Amino acid sequence: MNIQEYISSGIVESYVLGLADEAERARFETFCASHEEVRAARDAFELALEEQARNGSIAPPAHVKINILAQLGMDKYVAEKTDIDRSGNIARKFGEYPTGQAKIIRSSGWSKYLAAASIALLVGSTILNFYLFQQYKDYSERYSSLLASQTELADNNRALQTSLDEYRNTISHLKNPGMSVIRMAGNQVPKNGSPDPSSMATIYWNKTSAEVYLMINNLPKNTAGKQYQLWAIVDGKPISAGVFDMNEANPVMKMSKVSGAQAFAVTLEEKGGSESPKGAMYVLGSI
Amino acid sequence: MYVLNLFNVRLRRFHNHISLYRALLGITTTYSEHQLVSLLKQRDAKAFEYLYENYSGALYNIVLQIIGDVELSNDVLQDVFVSIWRKIESYDSVKGRLFTWMLNITRNASIDVLRSKSYQNSKKNQSISDQNEFDNGGKTSQLNVDNIGVRKILEKLKPEHRVLIDLAYFKGYTQEEIAEIESIPIGTVKTRIRNALIQLREHLK
Repeated sequence: MNIQEYISSGIVESYVLGLADEAERARFETFCASHEEVRAARDAFELALEEQARNGSIAPPAHVKINILAQLGMDKYVAEKTDIDRSGNIARKFGEYPTGQAKIIRSSGWSKYLAAASIALLVGSTILNFYLFQQYKDYSERYSSLLASQTELADNNRALQTSLDEYRNTISHLKNPGMSVIRMAGNQVPKNGSPDPSSMATIYWNKTSAEVYLMINNLPKNTAGKQYQLWAIVDGKPISAGVFDMNEANPVMKMSKVSGAQAFAVTLEEKGGSESPKGAMYVLGSI
Repeated sequence: MYVLNLFNVRLRRFHNHISLYRALLGITTTYSEHQLVSLLKQRDAKAFEYLYENYSGALYNIVLQIIGDVELSNDVLQDVFVSIWRKIESYDSVKGRLFTWMLNITRNASIDVLRSKSYQNSKKNQSISDQNEFDNGGKTSQLNVDNIGVRKILEKLKPEHRVLIDLAYFKGYTQEEIAEIESIPIGTVKTRIRNALIQLREHLK
């Protein structure tokens, strides 16, 4: 049998319309699987039939849909889509579609308000999100700067701790009962030779351990290129006990060890100090 | 970190708002047949509603043409859609389009009711009461569906073909039964139905 003859024998229509018997159906399905043109003929007839049938749509009463959805347990869905009016009749709110090509048209009633509310909600949410994002950025910046200042504070604290430890150490030495206190003053310099007679410094000297601490009470700030130098006068000869700068932040300094001194003096020398005093004497103190 | 979490929560809510918004705009969603079948098989209620909105009118027409009585047709249409929902698993796209499958379910359900005993009895009662209310203007609960849908195509067929298609398709009689009703040989019934179907296709083109 020729395939074209088979196709135009009416089998396509009787199969699609459900008029073919069991044997004819089975045979047709085999042909559909093996012959593309049979399948194409079936598809074409099905499409034409569907189109014709849909052109003849008649809208069923609204309660049919409601009953179906209720029967299938889609009641929640039903509740969303319908409303029951006062007389107890179920009123259709959505889906009054035309009898022609059936299309879903659901734009009446509170769905519009719901849509509007949803858009408003979306806009509100967008604004809120933008605001929160700005806030987040702001907090994030503040957090970074806080973190930086915290690090700085920790560094400062460590530095302070170090200098505090130094002070404690120094003070524990100064507390020592064997510590002699020698006051050096500008007015003790012979012939009023001190450039600043109001100058004053104090020596703490432990004769046993030979340790010397210098506390500056009042000295003019030394210029760059110059440094103060502490001298111990031992047997009439000046011996250097170290150089220092006038530093208000660190008024007590540990100097070189000195034994057998009869007096202490401070002169202003070239930076780095001198072998023997050459500059002006600022303060002098005898034991 | 708290601020970040809060931000994430807000972001998630924002996405939820978008889905809600899209769901509401989804009012105008159209599905391809493949998508629709796939969603129905996944028991998607929205897809089912779409199916109803798009096909109930065409199927209702067929039910009305076969049964005629509006109240009964409503019940049958309800049964048809419940069946479609329950049987969707057995739909095989290899054997034909979804509409063809639904159309056959509709036709079979309608013919089952038409030929059921209770329907035949109610029809007898109705014809008696119709005679009693002879002068009420002839109002019946029948809709005029003669000139739309599949019936419209039948109008174009030759009368001897039309009556056979009507008996076979809309009344569900077998070819043997038709031969008996029309008092024509079975071979003639077969030939005429075949010719009718060939003509039908020509009219659909």
